[in-house]
Amino acid sequence: MSFVDSLAAGLSLVGNIEAFLALFLGVAIGVIGGAIPGMSATMAVALTLPFTFAMQPITGILLLLGVYKGGIFGGSIPAILIKTPGTPASSATILDGYPMAEKGEAGRALGMALWASCTADVISNLSLILFAGWLASFALSFGPPEFFTLILFSLTIIAGVSGESLLRGALSALLGLLLATIGLDLVYGTNRFTFGDPNMMGGLNFIAVLIGLFAIPEILAMVRHPTAHVGKARSLGKNWVTFGEYRRSFKSIVRGSFIGVFLGSIPGIGAAPSAFLSYSEARRTSKNRENFGKGEIEGVAASEAGNNGVAGATLIPLLALGVPGDVITAIIIGAFMIHGLQPGPMMFILNVDIIYGLFIGLIVSSVFLFLIGSIAIRGFKYVADVPKRILIPAVLVLCIYGVFAVNNNIFDVGVMFVMGWIGFAMMRYRVPAAPFLIAFILGPLLEDNFRQSMLMSGSDPAILVRGPITWFFWAMTLLTIIAIARAGIRAVKAGPLLGQPPQG
Amino acid sequence: MRLGVGAVLAALFLAVYAIPAWVSSPSNVGNIILSPLFWPYALAGFTGLTGFGLIYSGLRLDQSGAPLEEPSDEAGAAWVRLALMAVIMVLTMLLLPGLGMVLTSMLIFAATAFLVRTRHPMTALVCAVLVPLVLYAFFAHVAGVAIPQGEVLRLP
Repeated sequence: MSFVDSLAAGLSLVGNIEAFLALFLGVAIGVIGGAIPGMSATMAVALTLPFTFAMQPITGILLLLGVYKGGIFGGSIPAILIKTPGTPASSATILDGYPMAEKGEAGRALGMALWASCTADVISNLSLILFAGWLASFALSFGPPEFFTLILFSLTIIAGVSGESLLRGALSALLGLLLATIGLDLVYGTNRFTFGDPNMMGGLNFIAVLIGLFAIPEILAMVRHPTAHVGKARSLGKNWVTFGEYRRSFKSIVRGSFIGVFLGSIPGIGAAPSAFLSYSEARRTSKNRENFGKGEIEGVAASEAGNNGVAGATLIPLLALGVPGDVITAIIIGAFMIHGLQPGPMMFILNVDIIYGLFIGLIVSSVFLFLIGSIAIRGFKYVADVPKRILIPAVLVLCIYGVFAVNNNIFDVGVMFVMGWIGFAMMRYRVPAAPFLIAFILGPLLEDNFRQSMLMSGSDPAILVRGPITWFFWAMTLLTIIAIARAGIRAVKAGPLLGQPPQG
Repeated sequence: MRLGVGAVLAALFLAVYAIPAWVSSPSNVGNIILSPLFWPYALAGFTGLTGFGLIYSGLRLDQSGAPLEEPSDEAGAAWVRLALMAVIMVLTMLLLPGLGMVLTSMLIFAATAFLVRTRHPMTALVCAVLVPLVLYAFFAHVAGVAIPQGEVLRLP
């Protein structure tokens, strides 16, 4: 199928009012969800997921992608106005955004955040369109050993960079892999941790696990400390961003966008590190570097470009390899699976119309983000006024309906509650939840590819190093472990030891 | 440190009791690598190793510099609220089959709103009735989900 044919097939799929309406609604939900302190883009995507069950696959996935993109930008609004990032990705935006708000220039900061976000979004989407197909055609030559090493590498990097240490991330990933073993064995069909309960034989429901891990702990945290997330919003001020300021920051925006694209295309790194790296690069190279941290508009532009540059790029490993790059794409892979679609290289052959439909939708989403973002900036005070202590019970009820709706099964609601307490315990012990969820999704794939490799080779482990692709992934895995372990050892050496007084 | 000890104990429990008791394997599997037991044992082993690593790093690091949680001036009340939330969740599971999803949701909405000491009790009560009804309308009539009705209230 030629490029034009693929494009026409995609256009025929999304060229209807429902698809664009879903995308528009998704961006609006995302911006509002991201802007509410205490919610996050992840939670907004997770809570929207149950509403997509009854939709056409492309419409449902566009709705979720809209929420994702809107959520990442929405997080910058409370970051600037009340010094509370709506999503972790917006943490770097506080550094210059809030000082600008203190000076009465919140409107200017938010305007620049929006322009930088939209620019980065376009660059990220174009990168996705350019690279995903190329990577997918390359991945068509992957066999089970190559997929095993790829997934192992992805899990290693996700475990390494998600939390405060490799060990905590690894523990989280191992627990996710263990949870994924529940159900019938993939080869022999024997029971594994099913306790004879038919509800457990198909494994734990993915939606119940993810909503339990990402929404219920927030509810429990709110129950534990009901007056958290209370902040006073700054006024927007009279100044607005000018085209001259945008042009002055353009280099930082483009650089930040490419940093986002690069880091986003590596599974596991995510938007927050990208935003900080983009910010520090802008500060290093800017003529106004002494103003950074005191309310420099270029700082806001760089951090927002960094985090939004990730949004399209995280879909590169998702669509081309079937490997989710972060938690939100892990939720989106769930939407694909619910609709009977398996992201990966074969999707570029079997469902090329959906792929191109998504590409078209993503390009349009940047326009929607600009329109909705402009309105959301002015309407934030209404969002900030939503009483959190009413919102939290509503979220709880929505979680119950959403999880039940997947299989019409009350057992799944129980799984969600149990996972919620596990997620809450992980939050308290600073064990990151992202590696847990991604390992839970990739666990069956990892085991399946491992056992297929062993079956192919008659249990000879040499098959796992059979060619350059496996060598590359093993080398990357080892390099990742060494780099993260060295960073951890340096941090331990730099910190105070037991029995010694803290330095300084 | 505590996390590491917990991980080691969990790995031991898996290896010594849980996997032999709750994972079944056909007797004719010749190669251990292909057995359904291999993957859980491997994961238990790695969990144990990670636990030892966490214990080692916990011994090296000064615990006083890293508080487990944000300080709270009402820690006792916070734990009571969490315990009550657990009770609400258990009651939800018990009430769902009998009362149905709509009525149960109304009750848990109100209970949770008062548990987090809402400053808008009337709004909370109105939302406690409206939110489950709106969600019922969407899931039952738009998404086609068979929402449990219970024996008390039958909705169209």
